[in-house]
Amino acid sequence: MTSVGSSRALTRYAANGSHKWFSSQSCLTNTEVRKQRNKAFVAEKKRQMSLITRVEKIKVEFKGHPEDTTLIMNRGLSTPYNCAMHMEELLRNRSALALVDGRPWDMHRPLVKDCELQFLHFQEQIPYLSNMVNKAFWRSGSFLLGYIMDRAFKDQYYVEPHSWPAPDIRSGSFICDIDLKMDNWTPNEEERNCLTRIGYNMLLSTSSKVFERLEVDASVAQDMFADNRFKLEQIPDIAAKSKSQNTVTVYKLDDHIDISGGPMIANSGLVGLFAVSAVHPIDTKFGRLHRVQGLALPTQLKIRSWTWKLLLERAAKYNATRLPGEVPSSDDNISGSQTIEQPFLPPSGASRPQEATT
Amino acid sequence: MAASMRRLLPGNCGRFIQNVLPNERLLESRYSKSHGNTFQRTLPYVQFRMTHSPNTPAPWWTKKLDTSAPEDLTSDNEAFLQDMVEEKYSVDSPLKEGPWERADWTPRSVRCGLICRKIGVIPQWLNNGKKFYTTLLQVADNHVIRYTPPEINRERRRGSRTPNFGIQVVGADSADPRLFKAEYLGLFQEAGVMPKHHLSRFFVTRDAVIQPGTQLNAMHFSVGDFVDCQARTIDHGYQGVVKKWGMKGGPASHGATKFHRKMGATGGGGNMARIWPGKKMPGHMGNEWRILKGLKIWRINTKYNVLYVHGPCVPGPHHCYVRVMDTILPLRKRKGDGPKPPFPTWFADDYKDQEIPEEIFDESLHRFTASSIEFEEEK
Repeated sequence: MTSVGSSRALTRYAANGSHKWFSSQSCLTNTEVRKQRNKAFVAEKKRQMSLITRVEKIKVEFKGHPEDTTLIMNRGLSTPYNCAMHMEELLRNRSALALVDGRPWDMHRPLVKDCELQFLHFQEQIPYLSNMVNKAFWRSGSFLLGYIMDRAFKDQYYVEPHSWPAPDIRSGSFICDIDLKMDNWTPNEEERNCLTRIGYNMLLSTSSKVFERLEVDASVAQDMFADNRFKLEQIPDIAAKSKSQNTVTVYKLDDHIDISGGPMIANSGLVGLFAVSAVHPIDTKFGRLHRVQGLALPTQLKIRSWTWKLLLERAAKYNATRLPGEVPSSDDNISGSQTIEQPFLPPSGASRPQEATT
Repeated sequence: MAASMRRLLPGNCGRFIQNVLPNERLLESRYSKSHGNTFQRTLPYVQFRMTHSPNTPAPWWTKKLDTSAPEDLTSDNEAFLQDMVEEKYSVDSPLKEGPWERADWTPRSVRCGLICRKIGVIPQWLNNGKKFYTTLLQVADNHVIRYTPPEINRERRRGSRTPNFGIQVVGADSADPRLFKAEYLGLFQEAGVMPKHHLSRFFVTRDAVIQPGTQLNAMHFSVGDFVDCQARTIDHGYQGVVKKWGMKGGPASHGATKFHRKMGATGGGGNMARIWPGKKMPGHMGNEWRILKGLKIWRINTKYNVLYVHGPCVPGPHHCYVRVMDTILPLRKRKGDGPKPPFPTWFADDYKDQEIPEEIFDESLHRFTASSIEFEEEK
């Protein structure tokens, strides 16, 4: 294992030559790891903020409901959410994703230059826009599964998330592949409800949690994820594919931090119905992992209980989307959509319809 | 009526005392004068407290209808969901246990009833030419939902008058599951049937228990049986004393000043010096549970599951739900010596190989499709 840069009193042992980490011999717990990771994230964020000594202005051309306007915002500090704050409560509450120069952009990601801005919500009529939002929602769902599994287990069980594949809505569920260090753990209905409840406790908390995005150097990322052997392997690959050849994007929700390339939805309050539908054991080149599957629906979309149960039945079936270690597709959290630098252009002739004023 | 013939049957609601009279001739003479709601009541009406039970659900029942915003689905998705509803409920749900054992009928057994819809009133004729009216009661897609044994029933209903009876919950009229809340849908999981619009309970003896999920048919009863029909009467709203209590009011003319449809005096004065509780006054009329007992089943249509019961006076408006049970009247009840009823109910599987006639008539009922008078050719 690579040496840990910062001072850390925790040590790990491998028993029987396998890659199993035995709790009785280590004091590595998810809680501790989380604390350290948060510290590193907060410190790095603070450092990056301190680099901005002079506040420069940028022109943001907003197009859409309620009216096309030009906003003068701060470079590197103002986010699309801040732009929405200048306009309307509706935009603040329902916007899941922003479109900056035609590219999907996190709502809480700072704007860096003069640009065109649009907001996307969950009832977009144009398919290429709704696909973007759907994929961001599915990706956030996978992130949520990681959040849940990280804190669901007792301290003696150390859990390492591996990754999740590119969001595929047609597969029926979003996925997170995790190393539970157990041979075969298939939770029964009550246990799945417990996992779901952990998610709901966070989703229904009074303060809506925001997805914070941070671009960090590969070395900082190595430090943050030193306790996760999978991430340590993935980080050099991800960094190599980035623009600067040395950057890794991390996201933070509440106190869970994970690596992901693509945009996430604005905040946890946009998630309405949520459930952990199944856990299936999978055999990969990294050994025995567990595929946690979930299902969610935005608050904006209404559904009846019977219909939800029908979708949940489908989400419980084993999702055969690519396993960890197989050839990755383009917008995966491993390779990251950081490789896509060209703007995402709409098909010619397509135009944004007039927004309803309700 | 003679006091000896007047018998207040145990129960919980005021009712016409005509039910103690087995004489059909008397019934006929009363009904022959009937003209809608204005026929003369020949017997006094006895008031009981607690007959005006509300028609609203109790607060501790599960909320039924899902009245949240409608699902904003594409037409493709709507069609898909409808297909899925059909797919899920078209297959018979595999029961966890095998079919329950069936007991034998005894004269003391009390069977489950049916929930029917009153679909209309039509005349029928006997072979001697006599005309009478029958009410058509269609068995509305009944399935047994639940059985609660007497032990649990006794615990839940302390001081009830039926401590030795179990409760059979029967549902009528299947509906789209998407209309209902999740809790209400949960009521039907045990039975494995589609959720129902309407539920009702029947008190049954232990031997008459029917397994949840069983379909109930009109053949549960036979032609010639006597049944009790219980339903909520037509809701007339707030009515005055003339319509509600049959008071005479006052003269239309001859100088009567503002006294045409009024009550008149309110009390007798004297010791009481107040108005008696229960004084007949204007108020809400109708929408009360009433039971009409001892109605004969003249005819059964097996294709549409319709019972033709005697008389035009089954309580309730058209298309209301009616609870139909074996009669408790002692002289019309099934005796031990006669044919036994299908027990605990009529199962279609038992008659798979037999052909069941579409219409079953009482012997004395005239059939228009029957051949008319035949004369032998004189040789």
